[in-house]
Amino acid sequence: MTKPWTARFALGISVVAVPLVLALLGPLLVGEPGARTASFTVGDGHWLGTDFVGRDVWQQVLHGGRPVVLTALAATTLSYLVALPVGLVGALTHRRWLEELLMRPLDVLLAVPSLLLILLAATVLSPGPVGLALLVALVNVPDAARLVRAAATEAAARPAVEALRMQGETWWSMAVGYVGRSMLRTLAADAGTRLTGVLYLVATAAFLGVGVAPDAADWAVMVDRNRTGLSVQPWAVAVPALLIVALTMGTNLLFDAALANNRRSDRGRGRGTKLPDATRTAHNPAGSEARP
Amino acid sequence: MSGLRSFLARRLLLGALQTVAVVLLVFALTEALPGDAAVALAGDQPDPARIAAIRETMHLDRPTHERLADWATGLLHGDLGTSLTSGRPVGQYIADGFGPTLLLATLTVALLVPIGFGLGVLAARHEGRLADRLISSATLAVYAVPEFALGVLLVTVLALQLGWLPPTAVGYGTDLLGHPAALVLPVLVLLSRPVCSLSRLVRAGMIDALASPYVAQARRYGISGTRIRYAHALPNALAPAAQQLARTIDWLLCGVIVVEALYVIPGLGTVLLNAVAERDVPVVQGLAVVFGVLTVVLNLGADLVAHGLAPRAGAAA
Repeated sequence: MTKPWTARFALGISVVAVPLVLALLGPLLVGEPGARTASFTVGDGHWLGTDFVGRDVWQQVLHGGRPVVLTALAATTLSYLVALPVGLVGALTHRRWLEELLMRPLDVLLAVPSLLLILLAATVLSPGPVGLALLVALVNVPDAARLVRAAATEAAARPAVEALRMQGETWWSMAVGYVGRSMLRTLAADAGTRLTGVLYLVATAAFLGVGVAPDAADWAVMVDRNRTGLSVQPWAVAVPALLIVALTMGTNLLFDAALANNRRSDRGRGRGTKLPDATRTAHNPAGSEARP
Repeated sequence: MSGLRSFLARRLLLGALQTVAVVLLVFALTEALPGDAAVALAGDQPDPARIAAIRETMHLDRPTHERLADWATGLLHGDLGTSLTSGRPVGQYIADGFGPTLLLATLTVALLVPIGFGLGVLAARHEGRLADRLISSATLAVYAVPEFALGVLLVTVLALQLGWLPPTAVGYGTDLLGHPAALVLPVLVLLSRPVCSLSRLVRAGMIDALASPYVAQARRYGISGTRIRYAHALPNALAPAAQQLARTIDWLLCGVIVVEALYVIPGLGTVLLNAVAERDVPVVQGLAVVFGVLTVVLNLGADLVAHGLAPRAGAAA
């Protein structure tokens, strides 16, 4: 609990607070939509002016955060729902063919750039918000599964697992009860990185028009659609863009500060520091960005 | 040396498998279309003539495996198919968009390597002090920000409010080198994320390497600090960074698509987005194969370089 840590933690919270509160509570605060007026006007009863079809920008801002945040949270959760069982089975099975069958296809999927995969799918499927969440989750599964497997392999090699096995514990209680629990810290660290990456992908895909209606109330869509009026009405673009910047930046700072705290308490107890490092080095070259 | 050879063989095999998988995945795209592919692709203009034309162009009346074989042989000969909307060969689309994208990518990588390594080494040298804290915090913050949000804010401030730079590259066509001012913002935005991740990685690697026993031993021999840093510590810090450089290619690709859309640059990203919007499947497929194979090859190269720099790290193939 030294000073630089608390400072960075506080910074992260204060940066992420505004967009997060707007995203979660915004739809509750917003009033009745007013009549549409001329597009790209400033002032005239509209606090932030009007957008490309003459809607009030402030109302759109209040509505526009929720889809970004909810899609990102759903996609992160979904990717773990698939990655956890796949990675655990891959690490704990004694059948070599099963491990290869589960993990090798993921190696191959890792080779395709994530945004390209999303655009490919968008060409033929025209996904909605749910489809976008599924797609983003899908491109995150290979990397998450590899991480789960690396962490589980490390935990499963400990003497404690051998002891459990000799006591005649069931596979299930070993996999979930011991190995699963010892991975929690690594997973928590990875979840932060992954959420940041997912937020990036969700916002970028929405900006490129994947998974959203062309006039949707979504910060990324607002940035895209209101660009045409950037020189007359910059607020319709700058406000949602700033909110996205604050949301992604704050999330990353916050998780990093929380992890720094984790690492420090690890060091205090003198154990467990090896796990995150070991999983990072066991990581695939094309794996997720390392967090030094 | 058998270890190296088996590593090489395994890594090359994985690369080949990945290439095949990319081709299969991209081909599977047409199979994923719901119902009759030709009807689905005709979309807004479902007149029988257009449907027939699409079926003709994509040979949809023939069995899947024959089409796959045809397409794959075409790829080997550099024939990527024909556009559904214009009837022009896909190769021509790629040739048109190639110049601007290559220019953007070359400029970005040329600036990325010195800036990323420079910042990383600088932060590692001053570990824990003000310079390190500033660099670490700034790179951590910027690294998470999507390019489009950063780019649009830079346009608002630098181009529209201050008037220093042109807001987009509209009107310059493919002659971007003749208008260097129009390139400043796109390259800046493209650099933002890769520079952050690369410098953080170099910093971490350098700190590890500088704390290692062999560096301590070198210090005891009285070898100068500069020589230790650049001749002994940096190569070991480079191995993870070289792999990150390949990951960066993935980001550059995502970034290029966004940046070209944002600054209206007629490169491959714009070609891809237009094709996606028009559901011009052959063009999307052709570009996807080119991008996918490029990523596989660059990852392969980075792994080999990383292995050559620090064999102990043993890149898992």
